[in-house]
Amino acid sequence: MTAKLALSRRKALELLAAQTALLVAGCSRPREEIVPYVRMPERMVPGVPLQFATTLDLGGYGRGVVVSSIEGRPIKIEGNPMHPASLGATDAFAEAEIFSLYDPDRSQAVRRSGEIGNWAAFLDALQPRLLELAPTQGEGLRLLTGPIGSPTLMRQIMALRQRFPRLGWHRHDPLEDQAAREGARMAFDRPVTALPRLADADVVVSLDADPLGAGPLQIINARGFAANRQARRGAEKIGRLYAVESAPTLTGANADHRLALPPGDIASVAIAIARALGAALPEAALSPEAAGFASELARDLTAHEGRALVLAGPTLAPDVHALCCWVNAQLRAPIDYFEPDDRAQPSSLADLVRDCAAGKVESLLILGCNPGYDAPPNLRFHEAIRNVDFRAHLGCCFDETAALCEWHIPQSHILESWSDLVAPDGAASLVQPLIEPLYDTRTAHEVLAALDGSVASARDLVRDTWKASAPAGDFEDWWRRSLHDGIIAGSVGKPVSGLSPKLPQLKSRPADKLTVVLRPDPCVYDGSFANNAWLQELPKPLTKEVWGNSIGIAAPDAAGLGIVDGDVLRLTANGRSVEAPIRIGSGHAPGVLSLALGYGRTAAGRVGTGVGANAYLLRADASWAIGGVVATPTGERRPLVSTQKHFSLDGEASELFPTFTLEQFRASQGNAKEAQLPSFFSPPAGSGARWGMVIDTTLCIGCNACVVACQSENNSPVIGPEEIAAGRDMHWLRIDAYQIGSSESPRTGFQPVPCMHCETAPCEPVCPTGASVHDSEGLNVQVYNRCIGTRFCEANCPYKVRRFNFFGYADGQEYRDLGADVMRAHNNPDVTVRARGVMEKCTYCVQRISRARHAADKEDRLISDGEVVTACQSACPTRAISFGDLSRSEASVSALGKQPQHYSLLRHLDTKPRTTYLAQVRDINPRLEGKTG
Amino acid sequence: MSLAIATESVAESEEEPLVPPSATDASITALIADPLLVRGAGRSWWIATAIAAALTLVTIIAIWRLLAEGIGLLGNNTTVVWGVPIANYVWWIGIGNAGTLISALLLLTRQRWRASINRFAEGMTLFAVSIAGLFPILHLGRPEYFYWLAPYPNTMTLWPQWRSALVWDFWAIVSYLLFSIVFFYVGLVPDLATLRDRSKSLRTRRIYGAFALGWRGSARQWRLHQALYSTMAALAVPLVCSVHSIVGLDFAASLMPGWQETIFPPYFVVGAMFSGFAMVVLLAAAMRWGFGFQQIVTVRHFEAMALIILASSLIMTLSYSTEWFSGWYSGKAAERGEIAFAFTGSYAPLFWAQLFCNCAAPQILCWPRMRRSLTALVLVSLAILVGMWLERILIIWNTLSHGFLPSMRHLFLPTLEDGLLVIAPLGFFAMLFLIFVRVLPAISMHEMRQLLHERTRP
Repeated sequence: MTAKLALSRRKALELLAAQTALLVAGCSRPREEIVPYVRMPERMVPGVPLQFATTLDLGGYGRGVVVSSIEGRPIKIEGNPMHPASLGATDAFAEAEIFSLYDPDRSQAVRRSGEIGNWAAFLDALQPRLLELAPTQGEGLRLLTGPIGSPTLMRQIMALRQRFPRLGWHRHDPLEDQAAREGARMAFDRPVTALPRLADADVVVSLDADPLGAGPLQIINARGFAANRQARRGAEKIGRLYAVESAPTLTGANADHRLALPPGDIASVAIAIARALGAALPEAALSPEAAGFASELARDLTAHEGRALVLAGPTLAPDVHALCCWVNAQLRAPIDYFEPDDRAQPSSLADLVRDCAAGKVESLLILGCNPGYDAPPNLRFHEAIRNVDFRAHLGCCFDETAALCEWHIPQSHILESWSDLVAPDGAASLVQPLIEPLYDTRTAHEVLAALDGSVASARDLVRDTWKASAPAGDFEDWWRRSLHDGIIAGSVGKPVSGLSPKLPQLKSRPADKLTVVLRPDPCVYDGSFANNAWLQELPKPLTKEVWGNSIGIAAPDAAGLGIVDGDVLRLTANGRSVEAPIRIGSGHAPGVLSLALGYGRTAAGRVGTGVGANAYLLRADASWAIGGVVATPTGERRPLVSTQKHFSLDGEASELFPTFTLEQFRASQGNAKEAQLPSFFSPPAGSGARWGMVIDTTLCIGCNACVVACQSENNSPVIGPEEIAAGRDMHWLRIDAYQIGSSESPRTGFQPVPCMHCETAPCEPVCPTGASVHDSEGLNVQVYNRCIGTRFCEANCPYKVRRFNFFGYADGQEYRDLGADVMRAHNNPDVTVRARGVMEKCTYCVQRISRARHAADKEDRLISDGEVVTACQSACPTRAISFGDLSRSEASVSALGKQPQHYSLLRHLDTKPRTTYLAQVRDINPRLEGKTG
Repeated sequence: MSLAIATESVAESEEEPLVPPSATDASITALIADPLLVRGAGRSWWIATAIAAALTLVTIIAIWRLLAEGIGLLGNNTTVVWGVPIANYVWWIGIGNAGTLISALLLLTRQRWRASINRFAEGMTLFAVSIAGLFPILHLGRPEYFYWLAPYPNTMTLWPQWRSALVWDFWAIVSYLLFSIVFFYVGLVPDLATLRDRSKSLRTRRIYGAFALGWRGSARQWRLHQALYSTMAALAVPLVCSVHSIVGLDFAASLMPGWQETIFPPYFVVGAMFSGFAMVVLLAAAMRWGFGFQQIVTVRHFEAMALIILASSLIMTLSYSTEWFSGWYSGKAAERGEIAFAFTGSYAPLFWAQLFCNCAAPQILCWPRMRRSLTALVLVSLAILVGMWLERILIIWNTLSHGFLPSMRHLFLPTLEDGLLVIAPLGFFAMLFLIFVRVLPAISMHEMRQLLHERTRP
């Protein structure tokens, strides 16, 4: 051993001691530095959210929203009252965009053939192609986009067209209503899009249309519907909604009368109505029941001429749509027609596939659509696209289409982007970023600019668009005002006037034995929200199913096939088959099966991949009703996952969900004050506010916006399908759906159930640690720190509104990848993230009450009525939820409490709930009563 | 006390003596003490202990899993928030009731036959209550904070919420457990002295001697001992009633249909006695076989216990009927719906099994021949133990699964963890009992000698 290497005993011990010390030090918490702002950004007060107006996209249309951002993190989306497609409300998709922004599965880097690349490499690959394309005027260059609602994007495409005159632009929208488009063209000889004004219609007939269902028009239509559902004593305004439909929709659920017919028969109903209005058409065969229904529809429509409306749905043929246009013209229906912006004349996906197969396409740029998943399989998009030499894809996720392309460019989320969007009525608004892009992402504007050879920021591109059309004056002022308001003043389109539709020639079609009716999914829409766990876990309005789709089928058809709920059925059409479990649903016409689109994604991300069955596989084109389907039971079983199992109210209906007809409502003398039950409890002490909520079940259409809003505001965790199947749903607000009346044609009632905040709350006396207590303003609050998880409170809660963290759903035991660091950013810092083993529940958004109280205290005034808006209330498109201080007689909740249809849930238990309801009031047509739902 | 009268008549019938005619003080003492001090544990003891130890290990693993991963491992859900741990808790407390009841109530009512069963019944109580006490803690979402139920001084100056039945429950278990330990120990002192005196080795003599507290068997000591023991017995009876009454209040002090019933406290006490006696029968039969106690645990003892079981079964049946009648008579839709759900709903097979085990099966004991047949009695006891567990789980499942709002009606889907928590603690209990019979006299020697004394000199 040499002297150099020799280690003395003393030295060895020193080293050992040092090593031990290091180990011990290593066990301590890692050193974390916090850095205060050196220069505080303007307007920012720590802990106080800032709000910015922007616009969100759905199906190529904009919905204006106001986003709350706290210390640079957008955390909550609410409606923008100034925007005509939002009217201050939201839908489930808008609320859930926050979750999509922080989705850990978002694409984070440019990829070339799956390998990580970068933007510069993409530009390097693109430049030589552009040089080659210049002499050929862009021959072989194609653009494939989804529906485009951005004027700037449209302008860029037009500019690109000028540079490359032979550039082909293809538009692909899997949810496109082609029948309506063609029907309008047939009736008016020009393309127009229809926008019904439900508020002005006293009688609405929906022929397999779903104006209240998911889509860009849901909020507008819901508000219009609500305008005609005002059951207020002395000022009641109640319209009548008829639905003739093949499979259940939200519209049918909210209809006063509903008839289930196969799509072919629905066309016959349209013909019967037209004939009653004087159309010279041959009579169509209908069953006596349907014929009677149709003649009553025609009678009621003509009786309300000028305020009557017929809507046709996508399952109907174009000529039936044209016929409905004619009927609406005869009725002088409240409906506006707008000219779509089709300047650039896009061609279809089918054209693109044909050209690709023929080798005419050399370069293809796919922007923000996913034909790899949702194109009809018969098009053979997958094979055709391989003939294209240069394939690039821009998308938020590395999805099915990205996998088919050589280049994938990550797209900025809309909350990170500059853009602009147009609402269905033509109103334009700006899209402004709430946050710097989280990853190295690009907007569609930037990609198109690169194609144009320029390097422009999206913001400049948007400004350039509007500089041309902004009114004279200071542009900066105009720009700032437009950004602030979230709407561009004076941009609302002018309806096309002087249209006179022709009576179309109707083709007769053979009736199909078995038809599959496709619907956009109320939770994942066209499939683009499949990786959004909030939406996957959102109970579907009618079935309360989560995490998947199922085939809806009428009970006699299921009995005919010998299958029950959860049995897997194989549907074969156009040479493809899809397997999904069935769910027997009343409201399906005989011979009609229903299946929601948007599931069965193969590359959605860790949350959405492999959930449900892909209904797009059944399609041969963009049709919504697929005839000639063969259904074969497979013998397999797949349990249905849902949050509600019992929908029937049996004998207790009148108690839990009372309903009034308009006559009963008018005749009711009113409850002025419900008689107090005898009680041992002393009346609530204190002179402060008495917060209360009134929910109008006449107005609730079951759209789910409030449920996601609550989840977003209150940091409710996602728990995954296994936990939901175990019965551990964590939504603080649920919407109970009840079927009232006969089992063949029941009427649906929606009852949102938050915490009742009982004055004599049964949860409070049973808690051994005093974690469930009342505050001075009558809120029943849960002290998470004090809760040890005995769950006695929930056992004793008659409404079962409490939610328990059986696992650390938000605290170390998250579902899949939702515990990723980036996910934490979506949390509302004003609301505790609950730990494992504690009980939680609706707080009436106590953090919002606190904020209002601070504001009022600072100004030394009382909180004014309407100053505190709960998250659910703010989201509601029909304004079914009211919240306020019951101690003030002028408050709107106090006034609603005096309505004759006001009631408390389970009043006989004398829990004195602060959340109360207004019973459902429907305008039943006495001539149809007893015949249909 | 109708039960006492019924059993008294058996005791008085004098067909069969409670102690063999040839017995002497020395022979009785030897019969009980020799297995501990002279004979080694037999092969059957080792086999039984090995099985019990394996199950104890499973218990420990199940509990560790529950603490590490959370109570989501159980089948509980938002609607049926309570489940197996609560049913186990009520069941084990019920088992634990019989020991003190036999000791105290039968002592006060001068049922002399109790002498040969009270000791191990008390041991059974201790072990059962200890196991029962684990479950309310294990069922908590945050078991680490279970002590918040106790009013201890803390910096948050927070106290338990006294209106909650769970706080009453906490005190009921703690006081019952502490009392049972003291009562058991007081009764044990003279026997510990006997063991000390008969010990062959210094080590066991010292251990037994330390616990015998210097007992010399003087007349004064006997007098004080008798006074203390009878006084404690007098205290024990209300405590036995209170502990299970309060367990009943856990349910009754609520507003759920099927729970909010005034009958619950007495009905729980009788139910506890019912299942407790069934367990005593099982243990007595096992010990009689294992230690050859045929002479001192006689068929007469079993017959007396059979009568108590039969009477309890009738009371249980009456309680069930009262419950159904008052539910129906209340006219409330929720109450009637809950009862209809019990009979015809998803758990109906279990419910009918419960009625068979608790109401129908024990009726065979109406035949004296069956009361004297150990096989029949053991089978009936097993049925009762199963039936009473079903009763406890169904009280939870039926009420919570069929609440007020149809939208929130869900079923309970048991998991593996639930199954482990039902089965494995039986092994832990058996393990404790097996150790007990090897270190302490399973039958009270001094009381057996007293019996002998009373017989020879009435």
